[in-house]
Formats: sequence, C-alpha cells, structure tokens
Amino acid sequence: MSTLLEVSGVSVSFDGFRAINNLSIQFAATELRAIIGPNGAGKTTFMDIVTGKTRPDDGRVIWGDRNISLLGMSESQIAREGIGRKFQKPTVFEAQTVRQNLAMALKNPKGPFAVLMHKKTTENAARINEIADEIGLGDQLARISGELSHGQKQWLEIGMLLAQDPKLLLVDEPAAGMTVEEREKTTNILRRAAQTRAVVVVEHDMEFVRRLGCKVTVLHEGAVLAEGSLDHVTSNQTVIDVYLGRSHA
Amino acid sequence: MQKTFIAQNPSVLWFLATLGLFTCIVALMSEATGVDLISTSFLKTLGKTLCLCLIAIAMDVVWGYCGILSLGHFAFFGIGGYAIGMWLMYARTEAIVVPNLMAQTIPPTPQEISDAIGNQIFGVVGSSEFPMIWTFADNLLVQMLMVVLVPGFLALIFGWLAFRSRVTGVYLSILTQAMTLALSLYLFQTDSGLRGNNGLSGLQNIPGFEGAPQATISLVFFVASAFALAFSYVFFAWVVSGKMGSVVKGIRDNEARVRFLGYHVESYKLFIFTITAIVSGIAGALYYPQAGIINPGEIAPIASIYLAVWVAIGGRGRLYGAVIGAAFVSLLSSWFTGGGAPDINLGFYTVQWTDWWLVLLGVSFVAVTLFFPKGIGGLFDYLVRKPS
Repeated sequence: MSTLLEVSGVSVSFDGFRAINNLSIQFAATELRAIIGPNGAGKTTFMDIVTGKTRPDDGRVIWGDRNISLLGMSESQIAREGIGRKFQKPTVFEAQTVRQNLAMALKNPKGPFAVLMHKKTTENAARINEIADEIGLGDQLARISGELSHGQKQWLEIGMLLAQDPKLLLVDEPAAGMTVEEREKTTNILRRAAQTRAVVVVEHDMEFVRRLGCKVTVLHEGAVLAEGSLDHVTSNQTVIDVYLGRSHA
Repeated sequence: MQKTFIAQNPSVLWFLATLGLFTCIVALMSEATGVDLISTSFLKTLGKTLCLCLIAIAMDVVWGYCGILSLGHFAFFGIGGYAIGMWLMYARTEAIVVPNLMAQTIPPTPQEISDAIGNQIFGVVGSSEFPMIWTFADNLLVQMLMVVLVPGFLALIFGWLAFRSRVTGVYLSILTQAMTLALSLYLFQTDSGLRGNNGLSGLQNIPGFEGAPQATISLVFFVASAFALAFSYVFFAWVVSGKMGSVVKGIRDNEARVRFLGYHVESYKLFIFTITAIVSGIAGALYYPQAGIINPGEIAPIASIYLAVWVAIGGRGRLYGAVIGAAFVSLLSSWFTGGGAPDINLGFYTVQWTDWWLVLLGVSFVAVTLFFPKGIGGLFDYLVRKPS
C-alpha cells in the first residue's frame, strides 16, 4: 500500500497554545479514514496545514509519488496538486447555479487567461451530469444553489470536490445537520469516492463514523491518541477517558 | 448546443440598442446638424456623462462582480486625462507659438522653440523648462499609449503588492483611497511637472482642427464616447459572463473557497483590477477634452467615492445598473448644483439645493443600501420574469 500523504512531526502554536503537537499521520492512496477527537483536538488545524492555509512551525508534510513537500505551496497550488477540501459549513457559491458551481470546480486549466478563453465542451458537460447524478442533484443543475436545502448544499460541495478529481479528499463534518436518510446517502457517496482515492472525514458524530465502517484515528491535544477500527479505539481506556468518557458523562 | 454570447446575455443587445438610439437622437438634435435643439454645452455634458458611465461599468466589474471596493479608480481616470491633456496642450501651444517665431527675421533654433512653448505652458508655475515626463508630449501616439499603459502599470504594481499581501475588504479600500490621495497631493505640487493646482487647460481645442467649430468637435467626442462605452460594455459583459464570471463572482462571495478549488485568486483580482484601471484611463482621456480642463482636484478621493455611490444606486453586479446610476446621479447632480432646481422657501429657512444636494445624495445612498440593495437596476427584475 503506497503512501499518499505523510505528515510527520508537525507542530504549530497559536499565541503559545499548541494546537498541533508533534503530529504524525499517514494516508494510503485509496482508503477511507475517519478522524475523531474532542473539540480543540486539532482536527481543523490539521486540515488547515495540509491544505496550505496554516504554516506549521515544525515538521514535514510529504505528498504523492514524487515525495514533494506541501509546505511553502499556496492553497491554490496544493488544490491543483490534488487535495480537495470540504468545509464544515456548506460553502457553495449561492449566487450561482448548481451547474456553474460544478463547472468551476472541474479539473481544467485554472489560470485567468485559460479561464477567460474557456469554451464549454461536451466532455465537461457530460462530466458535470455524471457528478450531479452521483450526488443526487441530476435534476437540479439549473437551480441557483442558494435555494438548495442544507443537505443538498453539502452534497453539492462534495460534488465540487469530486469534480476537482482530487487524490485526497478532506471532508469536515459532512453529516452535520443532516437527516437520517441524508446521512445514509452521504455515507454511500463517500464510500464510493474512497474506492479510487483517499477520503479523510473529520467527524464528531460516532454513529456516522460507525456507518462509514473504516479505520479511525483519534486526535487529542494535537497528537494521535489511538488508531485502528472503531471498536478497537473505543475500547482503548485513554480514549474513553479523554473523549468518550466526557461525552457520555 | 453552444449558445452565442449575445443569446445568453439579451441585456447586452438591449443596452446597445438603447445607447445607439440615444446617440443618434442626440446627434441629430445637436447644433452641428443645424437642428440645434441640444446646445453644445449640453452636448458636452451628455458626452461627459457617457464617459462617467464608462468608468462606472469598470467600477461595477471591480466592485459589483469581483468584490473589490476600489476607491481609486478616479485616479486612473485622471491619469488618462492628464496623459492626453499633455499632448493637447503641447500641440496646441506649438501651433500658436511656432508661426509667431517663424515670422521673425532670424529663424528660431529648436531650443528657442522649446523654450517659447515651455514658457507658454509653464509660465504660470514660473518655469519654461520641460519636465522629463513631457518628453513625448509632442507625440500623440505615445501619449495615447500612456492613457492605457500608465493606469495599467500603476494598477498592476499596486494590485500586486496589495493582493499578494491578502489585503481585503475595508483595508483595501483605505489603501486605494490613500493611493488616490497621494497622487492628488503629488499633482498639486509644482514639482510634479503638471502645472500644480493650475492643471492642464484649453483641452477643448483640438490641435489640427482649429477651424472646426466646438459644436462639431463636441459631437465627435460625444459619438466617440458612445462607441467607447459600447465596446467596453460588450467586452466587460463578455468577461463577466461564462467561466471567468463564475470565478470572479466566486471570489466576491467566498475567496477562500475559490482558492481551495485551485484558482490563484490574486491573479484574477490583479487581472480585473488592471483591465478596469485601463478602461478608466480611456474614459478619462475622452472626458477631459470635453471638460476642457483637468486639475488635481479632479482626482481627490471624493470623486472615487461618488463613483461607488453611483454604482450602488444604479445597482451593483449588473452593468446596465452602473450605467443608469452614473447617468442618473451625475445628471441630477449637475441639475441640482447648477442652480436648475428651484430653492424651497420654508419661511424660516430657504433650502438651497447647491448646499443640500449632497445631503440628499447621502440620504439616498443610505436608503438604497438599506432598503434597495439591488439599486435602480433591480427594477428590471420585475419587468423580466424569470422562466421557472
């Protein structure tokens, strides 16, 4: 199993607070992984570091077959390298249609002049339809995305990630605010996506993580506390103490 | 399945038709055609208004579409005016001075000619030396290039510095305003080589057309302004349609998201900032020959704030809204401040519109922002029912 992303010995502090403390974590080229942990465990900061939003004080972030460092690359460069990110709150471009949102995300040249001269192609249109069907918005392409329901916006954003055709998908709390059926659908979308790429889901909701049925990494105080199947980590005494113990108290 | 750009944007066609009709009617009614229903001075006002509409659509693209509230676009407008004004003033002075010198018994040396022209132009600031920036003032082609290149280059440098440091929102507005103020203050100085607070004048006299009456010259500039507006309108409408428009609007609504989609946001902002600066420069170059005079006061930050007010009142994020806002508010403004509006006698106090117009404008701006964020242009949404 080849390593897609290797984060090793990364630390970052904000005003003296160590958000990430000597964190090391690896992801394979095709896998589904859930990252769980209490508030302030450093889940979002971890994503910020991988996507280039935050620069770590220390450590290495190595990406892909060519073993290149992601540190020092801009957010847009990292995105073009093949890392897609979904935010916790659904952030789609609400003033634009579902089709426009997906078209913008498609894996095409992204420089201003290429975009200015961009012509619509049948391949792109077909790809947009394909993704829209995958996320269950096939009949909603012409709608202004601001009119979509909360769940549909979440899916649209996942669709935008798929349109980018990333090698690694970072998904922050995809199930937040979803109904039971919506959750099921989201789980299926993510599972299918993980067959051809790495999908990392940050989640609070243990029920959703159980549904995903994948390897779980528990973060605590900016470092990995435990790793393995959900049953394995939930039976770990330290995990129970710092995380589950609290939420069940 | 490929719909043409015009078919996707019917408002462009409507706009061009309206502008064409307006231009033809005004031209036919002008003094130059002998109908004389529109005086030359009013024709100039209309021509200038078209130039203001032109900078307004540039402002709408940078602010309404890209979300950069620039309070500096009138600086680019002024630079365009100065660039063309230098040639106008130089060539005109040369045309007056040289025949006089030639009439003398001893033919003048090139130095004497240069001094005589310099003396005419810079006498007001106590000099006859041509500053370096006037090196190409005798060359119309170079000065026309300056109209495009100087605002473009300035915008490129300024934008690059500001955007790469991720300065956004109100901080960016303040920065652009500071740039405008600095430029204005610099031009006020005699050292700037552009005649300090005197500015450049006599720009309505076009060298080579001394015999032509102002009525004809004004008509030519009016029509030229209309063409510039039409071309720029189509150009900008094309830029903000399609994928470029998607990305630019995306940057306005959520910059970070666009970045994580793999777009280099700074390049896009720089592109939009620079092309709109260039169009503003062209607008200025067409405006000031109609105004006849340009001075550093024109570049003062307040002008750029007015520009933002026009676009807001007209309706952001739709080009025709910017045109409506600029035309409506600037014409109304000259009516109120020009003494066109009758004073209102309240018995205990007389409302003089020359003083109270700004209050009215300010109140309308606040009212539009609070209650009609879509502006006047938003009224068209009621006319055009969306197919569901």
